[in-house]
Amino acid sequence: MKKKTERVRANLSFNIIGAIVLVHVLFGVLVSFLGFASFTEAFKREYETTTYHMADTATTLVNGDHLKAYLAGEETEEYQRSKRNLNLYCKKINVSLVYVIDVDTSDYGSFVSVFNSVNNEVDDSSYTEWELGHKRNTTNDEYRRKYRAIYEQGSVCETVYRLRPGDGAHPHITTMVPVKDSAGEVRAILCIQRPAREIREARRPYLRNIALSTILLALVSSTVAALFIRKQFVAPIQKVSDEATRFAKENTKGEPLGEISKFEEFARLAHSIDTMETDMVSYVENLTTFTADRERIVTELSLAGKIQEASIPNEFPAFPDREEFDIFCTMDPAREVGGDFYNFYFVDDDHLALVIGDVSGKGIPAALFMMVTNILISDRTRMGGNPAEILRFVNEEICAHNEAEMFVTVWLGILELSTGKLVAANAGHEYPAIRHADGAFELLRDKHGFVIGGMEGVTYREYELQLAPGDRIFVYTDGVPEATAPDNTMFGTERMLAALNEVPTGSPEQILKKVRSAVDDFVKGAEQFDDLTMLCLEYKGAKAQEETLMSETNKTELTLAAALENLDTVQSFVAEALERAGCPLRTQMQIEVAVEEIFVNIAQYAYAPETGDVTVFAEVSGDPAVLTLRFSDGGIPYDPLARQDPDIGLPAEERDIGGLGVYMTKQFMDELHYEYRDGRNVLTMKKTL
Amino acid sequence: MLTINKTIEDGKAVFTLEGRLDTTTAPMLEKELKEALPGVNDLTLDFADLEYISSAGLRVLLAAQKIMNRQGQMKIVRVNEIVREVFDVTGFSDILTIL
Repeated sequence: MKKKTERVRANLSFNIIGAIVLVHVLFGVLVSFLGFASFTEAFKREYETTTYHMADTATTLVNGDHLKAYLAGEETEEYQRSKRNLNLYCKKINVSLVYVIDVDTSDYGSFVSVFNSVNNEVDDSSYTEWELGHKRNTTNDEYRRKYRAIYEQGSVCETVYRLRPGDGAHPHITTMVPVKDSAGEVRAILCIQRPAREIREARRPYLRNIALSTILLALVSSTVAALFIRKQFVAPIQKVSDEATRFAKENTKGEPLGEISKFEEFARLAHSIDTMETDMVSYVENLTTFTADRERIVTELSLAGKIQEASIPNEFPAFPDREEFDIFCTMDPAREVGGDFYNFYFVDDDHLALVIGDVSGKGIPAALFMMVTNILISDRTRMGGNPAEILRFVNEEICAHNEAEMFVTVWLGILELSTGKLVAANAGHEYPAIRHADGAFELLRDKHGFVIGGMEGVTYREYELQLAPGDRIFVYTDGVPEATAPDNTMFGTERMLAALNEVPTGSPEQILKKVRSAVDDFVKGAEQFDDLTMLCLEYKGAKAQEETLMSETNKTELTLAAALENLDTVQSFVAEALERAGCPLRTQMQIEVAVEEIFVNIAQYAYAPETGDVTVFAEVSGDPAVLTLRFSDGGIPYDPLARQDPDIGLPAEERDIGGLGVYMTKQFMDELHYEYRDGRNVLTMKKTL
Repeated sequence: MLTINKTIEDGKAVFTLEGRLDTTTAPMLEKELKEALPGVNDLTLDFADLEYISSAGLRVLLAAQKIMNRQGQMKIVRVNEIVREVFDVTGFSDILTIL
């Protein structure tokens, strides 16, 4: 955190100071350059003017009318005097050379010297004096142009600058003026070569001053800027940053930042941070309280859900020792607790009460209402009476204390197990679905009474229904038909019946699982909106009821449902065949074991989860007598003999019971043969009696 | 059909079985044993009147033997010849204590 803050500071200060220094340096360079240029220009102009005046003055020392005569060889007294004067003048005005030349005007390519005064002391040079009539070629085109200007264009002064001569000579300027005769004609050119040292010497201190003052100004202004930025920008940002860091770490309200800067933007930032801290601290406090409350409610709800779940029977099989019926129920509340309920209990040894109900609304109020209703119904049912009386009583009780004006729909049935007679009454509940014998599940459009809790004084009508062995009744709450898919279509009773009829002969548990999976497939993961509760009962017939097939003693073949409860029938059928032949007790027991193991296998696995039939053939023939037993079923193709024998040498802890039955059968019978023929499993066994 | 008589005293339980221990009746014995076994360290099964046993019965005996291996001992007494043969054929003679 600290490292980050330092980097922010470095960025701000150094970037701004760097920018200021850079601008100052650029400005200094620009000023130096412009100043230098104009200084040089002015100096040059001044130099040129004074040199021109020197040259112009020098022309008065030369007589323009006699120049030709000097060149023709007349070194007169006048020439000597002019020469002495020019030498003297050259020394006096401190120039390197004063000379007069007569230029060849045909092409200005050469000239001859007339006068030539040399002063090597001025510029530490080493020129030698040209003789009268010394002829030279013009130095370059620049000189040629200047000569022509003076001769032909009436120029009064021309100057050649050689501030950076390349030939090792010192910097100098050469100023040329015309020498005229008395008629005003240009006869020659007078040149003065003057050292240019002064220009350079004057420029150097100027340049130094400019550079120094610029650097100084840059340093001073950068320092001032840095101090200013540090105080006015970095320090407030640092304060805000420190406070934000502290707050992030401690989550407590600190000293308010207050007025940390005279700049509005910083003041607003500080104010926002202060406000934010206050708001966040109070928000966190609220959230903590809220979360604690919520957790307590969640815990209580979860407990309430467990209590509710435990208030109805939820262990299956519920009555494993009762052979007359099989029952299975499920209840899935949409929330932690629900308003649906089911219940079943014995009123007496022969009467089983079945209840399903659905309270209006959902959640805790519905759950409380459901508990009250459920207890009232079960208490009243155990006191005896028929469903219509019971519902009427419960309705009166509930209406008397129905502050919340809630109501509940109930279907109540009482089944007489010995006869299969079902008496039921419906208080505004969904139609039950019934499957008779070999038919399909159909809705039973029973007569509805008014909902319980709706109005005092309501009476209920009851109806009677005869259940035969194998009949199934399915009751449910509206969570099933009203389960809603994402496209807002409802599951409906048609789809429900279709699902039921996919497993019309399944056990109640299989049937409920089928309906549930059909609902799940239908809603495709949409949130469960309503509680979903189902109850299914299969009536299997009175306890003492025997298979009618048993009496037909002469039959050698028996076809019956592959169900465990038919095991005794099959054993009796085989025993009868053996009895006629006369069979030792020990052999008979061995055969019984084989019959049981094979039959139980078929009953449990051949058709699972559906059911089907099995045909048993038994015949004793030959001498010595041999029993032939044949089991045939239309279930899943399966060869029990192919199964690997269990290891019977293992200790108890490692023993597994699987395969033991078939193994015993193999040990006890003389011959075993399996085949799959015409869509049926056929297992044939032989045993010498 | 199977009739079960049981006496439980000081962690000693005696179950006397009469009739047939098969697919139909085995769940009865299983339920009785499940209720009785907690706290029992010596279980005796009297098979004097047990006429018949199938693999469903063996399953219950194996489960009981596994429980008793952890909390005490289990023995089976007065086994008749027919039931004895089933124990022999299935190897149960080796894992049960048959007196």
